[in-house]
Amino acid sequence: MQTIIPNTGTALATLFRYDLVTQWRNRRSVLLVLLVPVIILISWKGIIDKMGGAYVLATCITIGLTAIGLMGYSISIARDRDKGVFQRLRVAPVPTWSIMMSRLLVQLGMILLTTTVVFVVGYKVDSILLSPLGYALGYLAALAGGAMYLGLGQMIVGLLKNAETVNSATRLVYFVFIMVGMFGEMGILGNQFKTAVHWSPYGTVNRILAASMQPATWNSTASLALLATLGYAVVFSFLGIKWFKWNSR
Amino acid sequence: METIQNLFLQILKNQKVNTVETTAAGITSTQISEPPYDEALVLQVANVTIFYGSFQAVRDVSFEVKGGEIFGLLGPNGAGKTSTLSAVEGLLKPKSGTIVVSGFNINKKPLQARANMGVQLQATSFQPELNVKEIIQLFASIYGVSLTTEKLHTILKDIKLDEAANKRYGQLSGGQQQRVSLVIATIHNPKLVLLDEPTTGLDPQSRRQLWERLENLRDNGSSILLTTHSMEEAEAVCDRIAIIDHGQVIAIDTPQALIEKHKNDPEVIRASRKGKITLEDVFIGLTGRTVRA
Repeated sequence: MQTIIPNTGTALATLFRYDLVTQWRNRRSVLLVLLVPVIILISWKGIIDKMGGAYVLATCITIGLTAIGLMGYSISIARDRDKGVFQRLRVAPVPTWSIMMSRLLVQLGMILLTTTVVFVVGYKVDSILLSPLGYALGYLAALAGGAMYLGLGQMIVGLLKNAETVNSATRLVYFVFIMVGMFGEMGILGNQFKTAVHWSPYGTVNRILAASMQPATWNSTASLALLATLGYAVVFSFLGIKWFKWNSR
Repeated sequence: METIQNLFLQILKNQKVNTVETTAAGITSTQISEPPYDEALVLQVANVTIFYGSFQAVRDVSFEVKGGEIFGLLGPNGAGKTSTLSAVEGLLKPKSGTIVVSGFNINKKPLQARANMGVQLQATSFQPELNVKEIIQLFASIYGVSLTTEKLHTILKDIKLDEAANKRYGQLSGGQQQRVSLVIATIHNPKLVLLDEPTTGLDPQSRRQLWERLENLRDNGSSILLTTHSMEEAEAVCDRIAIIDHGQVIAIDTPQALIEKHKNDPEVIRASRKGKITLEDVFIGLTGRTVRA
């Protein structure tokens, strides 16, 4: 008597393929993720010389990453959990981790897409040109920052069971992150806020992105920001996985 | 020489055998026997206890499903049917007891056990962005089944959904969704099919059609474990049933044998509405008249 268990690689590739199809059919939400960074790139055209091209690109990518982790990832996970999609996949002969890994791979693709769009629009609209090393390190920093935001999204779906609550909570956190992050970093909300934002998940990601795009400016503060980003990613992911329930009931 | 061979066979019989070979479709593993594994039994549930926090939902439940048998799990709301089924599916880990599917312990060898079962959950859905064709292809692939276009077309035709192949799952009627769900549960010809209240919300035509499909599955060698609230369904399709109440199995036999055995119980006679004792009367007699939450 023989039992056929699909190869894990084959199963993961299949899940990834259909998760990509799902993402493609949600083109509207993908466009929304890209829209805010592109609008900022266009509307900040006049102040780029003052703020610095790398800083503007870093801010736009940070906002894109926030949208991917908080709205793209966590909302889709909460919805599929609520509908029983995960339970159906979990009774199939595939390792449980592969179900989540395939989702994460799609989001990693989204991170690379967002970063590319920001780089391209930044060059075309604002004439921001980085060195090849700056672009390469920018992608790496985007992946590190994206991992942190995916961890944060995971923590929210771990903490909240109801899909509607996740939906509204992530939108609120997204709004707060962007508003407090942008205005706080500029010092509009005061110096104490500025320092707090610098070391917040928003600020550390912004800083490593800006520094990596101009490798010559990388200093000890950027290194500490990278450590803080990775630390946030580990803590958020750990709590997110620990609290996560596959079933919303 | 013969003695050594017998000894070797005896050792093989009593020890785990785990030969694994890789094929293009996936990994094919030879059955792992966990003594005392009876090959005639597709499912063995032994002394299973399930807790939700401090609440004990399932108490020392044991039953077996034989090859080619339709086995019904009946019980009032909250009796522990779905919890038991979830434990068999590996979605819930029992506090104690063992569950063996086709020779594989669900907690020790979950992938092998799941590869031998097909599942239709009570509340399940598929990615709403995918259409019927894609959903079937997705699950065929993760069960290691290669599906040609012709085979897919045959399946869709068989469930009368060839014209709805490009429709999203959410756009299908309840009966159509149920048919897709059953096709996915059986796409890999599993030895055991688990169905959680499969006919809930179906019209009589769809229900009858489903019963015929279940009987066909049984005739083709699959065993079926289903939960249901419908005594009519249990009587019509189940070869044996277990009545579960307050997390415990309180009766287990063929529907006819249960009626025969309990037809003179005062509680059963009191439950009878038309003189003739039915399975529902026996069920009410055994589980009480109180409505459960």
